[in-house]
Amino acid sequence: MKKSGALPYAKITGVLAAGAGVLLLLPLAGLDAFLLNVLTLGFFVAVFAGSWDIVGGVAGQISLGHALFFGAATYACALLTSLAGWPFPLAAAAALLFSAAAGAAVGALSAPLKGPFVALLTLALGEAAHEFVLGQTFFSPRGAYSWGGEGGIPVLLRSQPLSPWTAYYAALAFLVLSTWLMLRVARSQEGLIWTALSGSELSARASGVDILKHKRRAFLVGAALAGAAGIGFAACVGRATADDFSLELSFQAATFAAVGGRGTIVGPVLAALVLHSLLQGTGIPPAGRVLLYALALLVTLRFFPGGVAGTLRERARRRRMVVQGNGEVR
Amino acid sequence: MSPLAQVLVDGIFTGASYALMAAGLALILGVVKVVNLSHGAFFTLGAYVAYVLEAKGVVHPVAAVFMAAGIAFAFGVYLGKSFINPVRSHPFAVAVGSLGFAVLFEQVAQMLWGPHPLSIDLGAPWATFHGVTLRRWGVISFLLSLGLTAGLSLLLSGPWGLPLKLIAEDEEIARSVGMDVEKIRYLTFGAASAVGAAAGALLAPAAAITPTMGRVPLILSLIVVIASGMENMWTLFFLAVGLGLLSNLGAYLLTPSWSYVLLLAVICLLLVLRPSGLATVAPGRDY
Amino acid sequence: MSDLLLAEGITKSFGTNRVLRGVTLAVGRGEVVGLFGPNGSGKTTLANIVSGLVLPDRGRVLFEGKDVTRMTMDARFRTGISRTFQIPDPYPSLTVVESVRVALLCGQPARPAEQEERAGREEGLDSLLVRTGLFAQRYWPAAKLSQGCLRRLEFARAISCRPRLVLLDEVFSALSAKDEAELVALMRSLHREEGISFLLISHNPLILEELCDRVVAIEDGRVFWEGKPGDLARYVPAANHAHGHEDEMREEG
Repeated sequence: MKKSGALPYAKITGVLAAGAGVLLLLPLAGLDAFLLNVLTLGFFVAVFAGSWDIVGGVAGQISLGHALFFGAATYACALLTSLAGWPFPLAAAAALLFSAAAGAAVGALSAPLKGPFVALLTLALGEAAHEFVLGQTFFSPRGAYSWGGEGGIPVLLRSQPLSPWTAYYAALAFLVLSTWLMLRVARSQEGLIWTALSGSELSARASGVDILKHKRRAFLVGAALAGAAGIGFAACVGRATADDFSLELSFQAATFAAVGGRGTIVGPVLAALVLHSLLQGTGIPPAGRVLLYALALLVTLRFFPGGVAGTLRERARRRRMVVQGNGEVR
Repeated sequence: MSPLAQVLVDGIFTGASYALMAAGLALILGVVKVVNLSHGAFFTLGAYVAYVLEAKGVVHPVAAVFMAAGIAFAFGVYLGKSFINPVRSHPFAVAVGSLGFAVLFEQVAQMLWGPHPLSIDLGAPWATFHGVTLRRWGVISFLLSLGLTAGLSLLLSGPWGLPLKLIAEDEEIARSVGMDVEKIRYLTFGAASAVGAAAGALLAPAAAITPTMGRVPLILSLIVVIASGMENMWTLFFLAVGLGLLSNLGAYLLTPSWSYVLLLAVICLLLVLRPSGLATVAPGRDY
Repeated sequence: MSDLLLAEGITKSFGTNRVLRGVTLAVGRGEVVGLFGPNGSGKTTLANIVSGLVLPDRGRVLFEGKDVTRMTMDARFRTGISRTFQIPDPYPSLTVVESVRVALLCGQPARPAEQEERAGREEGLDSLLVRTGLFAQRYWPAAKLSQGCLRRLEFARAISCRPRLVLLDEVFSALSAKDEAELVALMRSLHREEGISFLLISHNPLILEELCDRVVAIEDGRVFWEGKPGDLARYVPAANHAHGHEDEMREEG
């Protein structure tokens, strides 16, 4: 059934396909290993941003501690492979379950709360996890040194180290698959219910929507996807660090979503990809990057609340309403 | 016992500073009706102002307080007018936006002064009782905080407090009576931010000045405001002092890191066990 | 008990403000009951308690014999009690058809087989939209509808899942004569054809006289009078003021 709210699917798919095509061919254009790595990591950050959008954009739950799910996955991978000696695929599966479980827990705690308090709770949970992890040290099995805190814990892949090209294409495949999945979810019945409860909780309740149940589900799905991104990220970086839980990372997710257009999935994914790759690729130090993100966020929130995709969508909708001249309104 | 007693006394003084912050936050919550996550950044601003002044040879805390309050007021008014007021009705924009300002400030501070802790001279002790030293920053914090609480308490219950209360409770009536609600809002935001910065300037001698130092006071003042509500300024004061005491104690007995984690746990518990949160925060419809 | 709905001894205070003081209200099967009262009389709060938005301090709400006092609003919707809102709050990013679809997805009491469900739902959606006169605007963003259309959307949502009782909260107020007439016709046909009971909240005695089998007048948190709509003006002074006022407004056009 036609959804006049979204940009025509064909157009979006076209743009995405074109983008994917460009990314597919990019390495052949002769990028050096550094840039290739930046892009690879950018793919995971993009999925992370998309996962935020599921919770915070489609379902409207302001999550300011999304890094919790990301870090949970990276740390699980690292600890299981380095300390417990698990093979990576097994550790990855466990990590995914772990972040999904974290999502279920956070969802259960946040669901009864109103907007600003969800933000506060998730912020506090994220910060607590970060602070906790910062102080934890682990001793390597061979006993020679300790890991933890900012230095991080290594993630062991067991196989030969991935070549930059393999990592790149694997990450790209992951990005394409995840984005497709997220779009499917956002456009599904569940996604419709999330959009409804995000738009008017009152009307949703009066329509028989079990608000608590659906909010919890949104968190679960968003957290699982964030965890998946974390797993990939950890594999490529080779370490899990406390930064994976940081407020700066949670903040970035919200920023990419705001700039790209909350609720559009595509917007946050592309915004993350572009901004992250651009800023990291040009070698700007972390403080400078976060500063620029913050500026971009504030300008967007103040002047372009719908973000890039949202503004485009609104324009398209207005144009279509004029063109179709849809019957009498008054 | 002496080091513990010192910790307790310092904790009370620290708590008094936090009470200032909490008062500011409560005002913002009540009058501007937003949960302001940039409040901690103003605290940090105050601390850095004190640092810069000391580096220039200005050592008296009152000077630092005035300077910090003045700068923060200007910034706060600007922020309130240009950002907070226009986006007030969108919880996402407010939450993430105010956080954005906080993060922005943290990064700027880091670029200007580096990530490592700075410190200001503690100042000569004023008095010593049984091995417990009372210093200038502590006493001034306490007195200022007491004064402000008393002042606010009187203000809100007296005729001058009516405009604020009216805006907090019924905006429509406030407007119809001719009040420039928007202006009062951003002025309140500025004043509250000034108070937060004053707290930072006061606490600076006793703290490690880092770009992210404002996070703890933010969480702490949020706890106080959520737990005590906005009705009674004195509940706010005592709760803040108590929490400051516990926080200091926690930092002494465990580590500052654990103290922070425990504070975060407290706010989580508070939010989870009181799902209705505060009455009307989001300026939406009430059913 | 043949009562569809029984709200018994409802008491509610907000802080020191005692809004309802032991109100008892019943709606029988197939009945249209009017709830009349000036602003501040407590009728909206009563509606909120019956529909599940607010919990009473004391008293209980029985629906089809079952105690639903503590049931959430969405559960009540699934049980057969729905309501419209005086000020509709449409979903900002959904179209008309999507808005109603949400109700159809979540509001069903039972779960028929997946396939039938989907097919049946789409048909149901279209016929529902036709019925409420929204078919032409079905792809419009819900937020862009006129007041009259928003009220229709409220209707569509409220009747989408075969409720037995619908609370109409000032659904006819501040509408053009044309819109009002159409909505009245809609309500009448729903009542006649589906046998839906209505609890009609209104400060407009003319509407109440036209549509209700019985009217309950509330004042100051208590039931002031109960009887036939035709007698409303005679026994309830407030109705006279409103009566005259409505007549004036009608004359002015």
